[in-house]
Amino acid sequence: MEGKLTIKRIIGLFSISAKMDLMWLLRDTKFAIVAIIADAISNISVVSGVYLIALRFGGIGGMSVDEILFMMSYSTIITGLFIMFGASNNIHVSRIIGRGQLDHMFIQPLSLKVQFITCGFMPFTGSSNFIIGCVMLIISAGRLKLNITPWWIFMLIVYLATTMVIIFARAYLVSSAAFYAPVAAEEISSTAIEGTWQLSTFPLSGMPYFIQIPLLTILPEGFMCWFPSMCLLGRPPLNLTGLYPLIYALILSLIASYIFRKGLNFYVRKGSNRYVPYGFRR
Amino acid sequence: MSEKVQTDMYPTDFAVSLNNVTKIFMQWQRDNTKKGMLRNLIKPEKRIITALDNVSFTIRKGEFIAYAGPNGAGKSTTMKLLGGMLMPDSGDISVLSLCPQKQRTALMSKLGVLFGNRTELWWDHPIIQSFEWKKVVWGIPNDMYKQRLEMVTELLDIKDLLKTFARELSLGQRMRADLAMMLLHGPEIILLDEPTLGLDVVAKRQMIDFLKKINKEDGVTIIVTSHDMDDLEEMAERILMISSGKIAFDGSFDSLRAITGNLTRVNVTMERGFIPEIKGIKPVSCDNGVFEYDIDLAKMQVKDLLKHLSTVSGVKDVEIKKAPIEQVIAGLYRDWSLCKAEA
Repeated sequence: MEGKLTIKRIIGLFSISAKMDLMWLLRDTKFAIVAIIADAISNISVVSGVYLIALRFGGIGGMSVDEILFMMSYSTIITGLFIMFGASNNIHVSRIIGRGQLDHMFIQPLSLKVQFITCGFMPFTGSSNFIIGCVMLIISAGRLKLNITPWWIFMLIVYLATTMVIIFARAYLVSSAAFYAPVAAEEISSTAIEGTWQLSTFPLSGMPYFIQIPLLTILPEGFMCWFPSMCLLGRPPLNLTGLYPLIYALILSLIASYIFRKGLNFYVRKGSNRYVPYGFRR
Repeated sequence: MSEKVQTDMYPTDFAVSLNNVTKIFMQWQRDNTKKGMLRNLIKPEKRIITALDNVSFTIRKGEFIAYAGPNGAGKSTTMKLLGGMLMPDSGDISVLSLCPQKQRTALMSKLGVLFGNRTELWWDHPIIQSFEWKKVVWGIPNDMYKQRLEMVTELLDIKDLLKTFARELSLGQRMRADLAMMLLHGPEIILLDEPTLGLDVVAKRQMIDFLKKINKEDGVTIIVTSHDMDDLEEMAERILMISSGKIAFDGSFDSLRAITGNLTRVNVTMERGFIPEIKGIKPVSCDNGVFEYDIDLAKMQVKDLLKHLSTVSGVKDVEIKKAPIEQVIAGLYRDWSLCKAEA
């Protein structure tokens, strides 16, 4: 019964998460719809602020209004993917570590990696931003008269996946602090990611190098939508190759994996002297 | 944690085997004086806690083990080590011939773990949904799931709870649902840490009866910790007692009584106005004419006791019974604590 980890099994794990999400949605549909709409309005308002500035001034930093709309659509899709795949604190993993809830994961006959990837999938309550982002993308691509080829769609998927890898890697990197300081670092992941989220939606074209370069090296905000959007528009910034986000994602995920493993090793040697039940399974 | 280990390196006839297992924790000490706060910044004081000190024991398949000890003795640490949640500092652990730390995923399909103060149920979902989640995550085949679901539903009397949200259950109902969920994959060993914590007498009775039944009929190996010694005595045949990280006793409850001096509880009911006197022994309690004594039958034989009481005026009734196991163990804990203080 141990069960090999086949594609079918992984699909089964995603499916059960999706079913649980649907059940949750149908539990109290009225309130769920209100929550979905509120979530969508809140995220659209973040990107519309930038769009309205672009509209008022006829673009920002050399990017046209439609290019800004394209970039905002990318950002909205990323927000949608973040919500859709990170429902069980599996992205903000410092909460699980800090609350001593990893023990619940240790007793499942699955590797932690598989659990983290599959457990937070909620396509029903978390897809509003993703759908809105796709609609915005279609509109902006039409207005920009982009030549949409299968290769371009493939690259769009690659860049979206790369941005998600960067988000995961950064969250896991900073969350490793929770292995050593569970109380102090319980919320470190949300602070690190959401604290700079607004910065990530701002078009960095036309900004001086001392702003652009740190946001493409020390902090990965430039990869959240600006850099990949520019690549998809055929104009990678700073004369960098379009592969730069992929290289960055690879390096960051290797560092995050190493640091996280070290933290996990510390956790299983020292144990957690803290357990709080809240936020564990909705 | 993912290193591959040969499965034949551990004995197969044991359900659990611990060989010289040591687990040490470090605790930061904080002083709230001004001087202490300054010292905390420069050189914080730490204390080493030896949770398990070269512990060795084996448990055969099908045994029902009570794992007891005072607070902080190392019970939960042992449970976590067996469940693969902690790494030992030294020593070998084998559960069903698998190493919990290196073969965790393989072991978890054969092991059931339940902590009394934690739940595995999904809070905002009906119980049956949590069960279905478990079926997928554990990869339980359809036929087996149906059969096990039917069995636990009937034995634990949870048919009426299946469509209820976990958050709406009482503690006893939740524990029954948690226990049912834990058994769905047919574990060969179950680890229960304080499963009767906070349960009322009825819920406790249901849980004890159920555990005894699956141990007897299905041969499931059960290791249970509890502070309620009467419950443990009723459930288990063998008791492993741990104190200050070492195994202090391993045997049956009767032999545990024997080592504590064959302590016996004697209740003497007196007529109004009479007080019994037994040579050199003071009553433990006195309530409504019933005087309660703890007598070590190794020092005073029953015939001598009865002979003595027959000479005492006003005796209406005499009742002699085994001392409650709680009391036997409390005495042991006191002795161990004194030894520790002296050491």
